Amino acid sequence: MVEVKLVGLGKRYGSVTAVEKVDLTVADKEYVTILGPSGCGKTTLIRMIAGIIEPTDGKVYIDGKDMTGVPIEDRDIGYVFQNIALFPHLTVQNNVSYGPRARDLPPEEQKRISRRFLEMVKLLDKMGMLPGELCGGEQQKVSLARALSSGSKLLLLDEPLSALDSRVRVDLRYELRRLAKELGLTTIHVTHDQEEAQSVSDRIVLMRAGTVVETGTPEELYTRPRKIFTANFIGETNLLEGWVLEIKDGVSVIELRNGGNVRVNQADHPVGYAVVISVRPEFVFPADEGMRAIVTAITYMGTYWRVTANTEDEEEVAFDSATLDENLLTIGKEVYLAVNPKAAVLYPRPEDGVQEAIKLE
Amino acid sequence: MDSLIAVISRKRFRTGWTAFIIVFFLFFVILPTVYILSYAFTNWGSIEQYVLDDPAMLDLILNAISASFQIAAIVTVIDILVGLPMAWMLVRKQFRGKALLDTLIDMPLAVPTAALGFSSAIFFAVTPDALQAPSFALNAVTSPFILIILLHVVFSYPYMVRSLSAILVQIDQTYETAGRTLGASALSAARTITLPLFRAGLVTGIILCFARSLSETGGTMIALATMANSQGFQTGPTIIGMWKPLVETNTDLAAPLAFVSILLILLSLVLLLVIKLVVMKVHLPMGRIWPRPEKLFSRGWFPKTKDGLAVFFLVLFVLIPSFFIFTYVGSVESASFDWGPFTESLLFSFMVAGVVTVIDIALGVPLAVYIAKNRTGKLSDVLDVLVNVPLIVPTAALGYSLGVFWTGQNIIPTYDVLLIILAHVAFTYPLVVRNVAGAVEEVDPAFEETARTLGAKPVQAFRRVLYPIIKSSILAGAIMAFTRSLGETGATQAVVASAQTAPVYIVNLINLKTPSGYYTAGLACIVLIIVSFVFMLALRYITNRRSR
Repeated sequence: MVEVKLVGLGKRYGSVTAVEKVDLTVADKEYVTILGPSGCGKTTLIRMIAGIIEPTDGKVYIDGKDMTGVPIEDRDIGYVFQNIALFPHLTVQNNVSYGPRARDLPPEEQKRISRRFLEMVKLLDKMGMLPGELCGGEQQKVSLARALSSGSKLLLLDEPLSALDSRVRVDLRYELRRLAKELGLTTIHVTHDQEEAQSVSDRIVLMRAGTVVETGTPEELYTRPRKIFTANFIGETNLLEGWVLEIKDGVSVIELRNGGNVRVNQADHPVGYAVVISVRPEFVFPADEGMRAIVTAITYMGTYWRVTANTEDEEEVAFDSATLDENLLTIGKEVYLAVNPKAAVLYPRPEDGVQEAIKLE
Repeated sequence: MDSLIAVISRKRFRTGWTAFIIVFFLFFVILPTVYILSYAFTNWGSIEQYVLDDPAMLDLILNAISASFQIAAIVTVIDILVGLPMAWMLVRKQFRGKALLDTLIDMPLAVPTAALGFSSAIFFAVTPDALQAPSFALNAVTSPFILIILLHVVFSYPYMVRSLSAILVQIDQTYETAGRTLGASALSAARTITLPLFRAGLVTGIILCFARSLSETGGTMIALATMANSQGFQTGPTIIGMWKPLVETNTDLAAPLAFVSILLILLSLVLLLVIKLVVMKVHLPMGRIWPRPEKLFSRGWFPKTKDGLAVFFLVLFVLIPSFFIFTYVGSVESASFDWGPFTESLLFSFMVAGVVTVIDIALGVPLAVYIAKNRTGKLSDVLDVLVNVPLIVPTAALGYSLGVFWTGQNIIPTYDVLLIILAHVAFTYPLVVRNVAGAVEEVDPAFEETARTLGAKPVQAFRRVLYPIIKSSILAGAIMAFTRSLGETGATQAVVASAQTAPVYIVNLINLKTPSGYYTAGLACIVLIIVSFVFMLALRYITNRRSR
């Protein structure tokens, strides 16, 4: 059983704060991703868990044990590096058997373990090669096998897929989750790619500028984000500013700044309150009334069309359309747009403005 | 200007220029360096008569040469053993005073080896009473062999630390971290992962250190002269320095001189080839990990003791000997002396170094660019290997060989100054070429290609695009060439016996064996140190300003 608990964990470099007092518990066998834009402190965080970086505040507990002062090699972790970091002078097999060797297991045992994990990532046939002779995806698989070979039940993945080609990246994602679940590992996976986070995680921890913005399942963060930053960072969304015009039966009618009214199934803000609506493009649709806008671009996306339209005050609204009725949707055409009241989310309008709230740093 | 660019951009001109550079390199640098080897074929008779059939002579030569190689080997081993922990500390650790330590290591580099020789001999060796060594000098070493080892460690240690840390910086620390996440202790990870990756760089460090020790003449001469009793001890280069002035009156020495030079050149080339092969090919049983003892040594008192010893070594065996001359001069009675000849020899050294550096840059940069841009070509490969030859050959042997080569032909007039400059070009030229070639290879050819697509002629593309990028490397090469030339004694003496260089002047003073002679030698050393310090600071200032 491996549970990881961070209590007030922080790292300062002089006057610069890289990570500010993070509290987080990762349950046994849970797959958690730490997601955030570059520079948000996520890599510093995972490195503090591994012991590569000493925290300046707070503590890391692995399995209930305080890790302060415990060197990397005694933390019993598997770690996969962004730059792969296979030992260039050792063969694939010797890379994977390094962990067992460092623990002084007998040679037969070293061999058995390295074969087992190479088989698991389906690279048994590349055993005798040097890392430089493999392609990027294979290298990262070997490095995964190497991390697993230590037999640790805690797997730390530091941007494991960032260095790979896009196709390999997608394939390897599922491989990671499959292995983690098969072996019953507690996994902490750092990434800046929200799609990656959504497709592998049990739970996502979203970070920004050294602090945790919000934590939740991929579905929660996508459908009911509690912060404007989350709504904007995870998936795509339209952020529309307005005021609460009236409230009836738990439904708010919002008067938008760009003219037109929309309805949202939410009533936590009083009449007259300044709000921001987040609504994803798939929940905006042309209707008889609503926001008036002029179509400015239509992009074919494979299974649907992404339409961009400009409202009267030059605000851009994006929506998706499964069909393309050329009488209705052509560039320069005027449309009225409505939103699905169940799928829109209301936020109090931030004091510093919406742009400040969605800024990455 | 435009018509000039048009002329030098023509294909024929460029081919001709490249040919000229290569011919210069082969005929003015490589050929004179190893010319003396031909003596073995043309004058084997005299070698037999004057060396092989004369047991006393043969004995003297073989002893000196074997001492040279033994010293170089021992010095290299010491440098690695104590240089590695220091390099490790400077690259991988963060601690207070790191910047200071970093500067301290560079300090001895600013002291000319001649001054180092006198300074460390006073500190380490048992010296004559007339020298009045301060009572707190170590005053312990009576064996000339050990004294020379200590001296060579003093001047080669900073180079070793610098070259080791340069390689260490390039080895991604993630490898070691990865090893540690797999359960290896810090020591195990360093030994099984970082050290094997270190191999290629280690070869360079070893070869440079070995070659420097083998070449060193001025400091060695001075240290031996300073000892109370040097027991007639000689190294290969000092023998050349001793005989060269005599050969004009006693032609019997021509064969022994040639013999010593040939042995030095051949042995150093062969030996360094062997070192390269051994270090690259032989796999030490480094794979095994001993988790418990290595874990023990990774923590607590051991790393701290190791770092402490490294700093202790630096202070006692490098820094104090380097600067002991100041306490010496401060503690003895002063005497008046004539600065004239000394100033003259200093000015002469600077003049030579300046001219040499200009020639090195003018003719070295084009060769470097040629080598770097034609990496796939056979000729470029051969040139790349040849460039290292003058770096490895002991400079005294190089100087003697070069002197024989030029005085034997009637191609150029053989003025002393010209010969000295040619000799200095021969062993400094590779420094510029290697520095610049390394830098050019790092530059993405796309930059110059882009300039060419925008209509720039090759020479303009070089001038506007490549040159600004590699400027700092050219400057670094120039600084190395200048300081090497300034500190050189062996080659100068071997090419022109009567040359009054600063070290020769100091040796003459020491050989007077009078209190005032010693005092004056000390003062001269201090002047040398100050001049080269000021010079280094100025250069550093210029480089910093340029690179900004």
